[in-house]
Amino acid sequence: MISLEAISEKQGITESWTESRGTHWLNPGAVSVRDLAKSMNQVQARFITITAYQLPGAEGFRLEYHWDLQGRLLGFPFVIAGNSIESIFDLCEAADWIEREVHEGFAVNFTGREYEPLLLRAGDKPGVNLRDVPGSTAGPSTPPQGQKEVAK
Amino acid sequence: MGPYHPGLEEPYKLDMICEGETVQDAELHIGFNFRGIEHLAETRNYFQVIALMERVCGICSFIHTLTLCQAMEQLAGLEAPPRAQYIRVVMAELERLHSHVLWAGIAAKLMGFKTMFMTCFALREKVMDVLQAISGNRVNYSMNCVGGVNRDVEDPIALVAMIDDLEREMMRKVIPIFTTSSTARSRCAGIGVLTPEKAISCAVVGPTARASGINQDLRRDAPYAAYGEMSFEVPVEQAGDVRARLFVRALEIIESCRILRQALEKMPPGEISTGADKFSFATGTATSRVEAPRGEVMYSVSWKEGSRNPARVHVRTPTYANMPAVRWMVRGARLADTPLIQASIDPCYSCTDR
Repeated sequence: MISLEAISEKQGITESWTESRGTHWLNPGAVSVRDLAKSMNQVQARFITITAYQLPGAEGFRLEYHWDLQGRLLGFPFVIAGNSIESIFDLCEAADWIEREVHEGFAVNFTGREYEPLLLRAGDKPGVNLRDVPGSTAGPSTPPQGQKEVAK
Repeated sequence: MGPYHPGLEEPYKLDMICEGETVQDAELHIGFNFRGIEHLAETRNYFQVIALMERVCGICSFIHTLTLCQAMEQLAGLEAPPRAQYIRVVMAELERLHSHVLWAGIAAKLMGFKTMFMTCFALREKVMDVLQAISGNRVNYSMNCVGGVNRDVEDPIALVAMIDDLEREMMRKVIPIFTTSSTARSRCAGIGVLTPEKAISCAVVGPTARASGINQDLRRDAPYAAYGEMSFEVPVEQAGDVRARLFVRALEIIESCRILRQALEKMPPGEISTGADKFSFATGTATSRVEAPRGEVMYSVSWKEGSRNPARVHVRTPTYANMPAVRWMVRGARLADTPLIQASIDPCYSCTDR
């Protein structure tokens, strides 16, 4: 079985892995998402998904990248201050649809790739599905204020 | 082909570029069944969200609530009692049987094998009878709750006879015909091949992956519920074609019957849930994964302490992972084979679009 520590050491990450609620988490620190994707390819981990969270106010987004390594669920949180992050589509074909979906639902730009037409919704305005847009008219189904302010 | 086409049971679109009758390339378009369920989940309380997520998919409705409830249990610091864990295994395997037999029927119809279609659907009725006997429902069983299940299996041993009967009919009728008949062989062998390299690259899951030589199954690799106490094999085929997907599912039916028999015979006595009806969820994120009939389902659930509603529920369904691989399966195929090829991954667009 591949040691998780060997993966973090190879990337020069000094923080240790923490297991929490079903996932082995590693804070990638300064390691880019592309370098991480390359190291996941090297150990033949299987890409699962990206889960996007909008942070409160204008703090940006947290994107959690998940891979499966021999039955272990690995999670890498990336906090982005703006709304863009490098695409891993060319390194990991399986990330295509989820990058397009996050782009569509949260208006996060995955740089270095071309987008096909929107995946799930017809229309030309990304980010109106799951993202809170300041100044938008709050309908009756809008979640209560502050509910989205989730800390890890 | 699509979004509404007799060869496709649900709406999605396959744009194919053909040279004569041969497919050169394809593009997939989904989203025709988009319901905004992830957004809706943020507006539902901890009871309502279970009912909502049960409706992500009609066929694996139990699996979706199981995955959600396991994640919510982690956030609430609860563990379902042992009997509930066994009941979850029973329901999950019955759902796998239901799904695989339904798929076999649809595949038979697409092969032009209509008598087999009727046989499979008659068998499916028997599986649904068992599901109804346990839950009172044929679909959307309302079995899972946070901390266990809502209904007990009152006489587990009585159900063993029904499982034996099902297995006998599968062994006697369905599996031999699917694996040996010339109709099935001529329509399935060497068609819609997904190589192991492409299966890894596309990160496909479930029977689609196992038919391409990828030996993965969460029930064995990351056991949940009572799967750690079950003895079973994970069928793997190497050919990567439609026939291999057929074989994997056929063998999985036998393994499901084996798991069901063990779970029913060994079901421990005791409570079926923690009994709590008010929950306090910790702030943070929990993830849960379950091996659905079509492959891995993953839920990421985030909560803010004190809130009745989840802050975010993200669902990654198996068809979402498997569907992009259809592009590679149909390349070089005959146009007439493409409905069967796309059906061979047992797609669910309701799940995919959410």
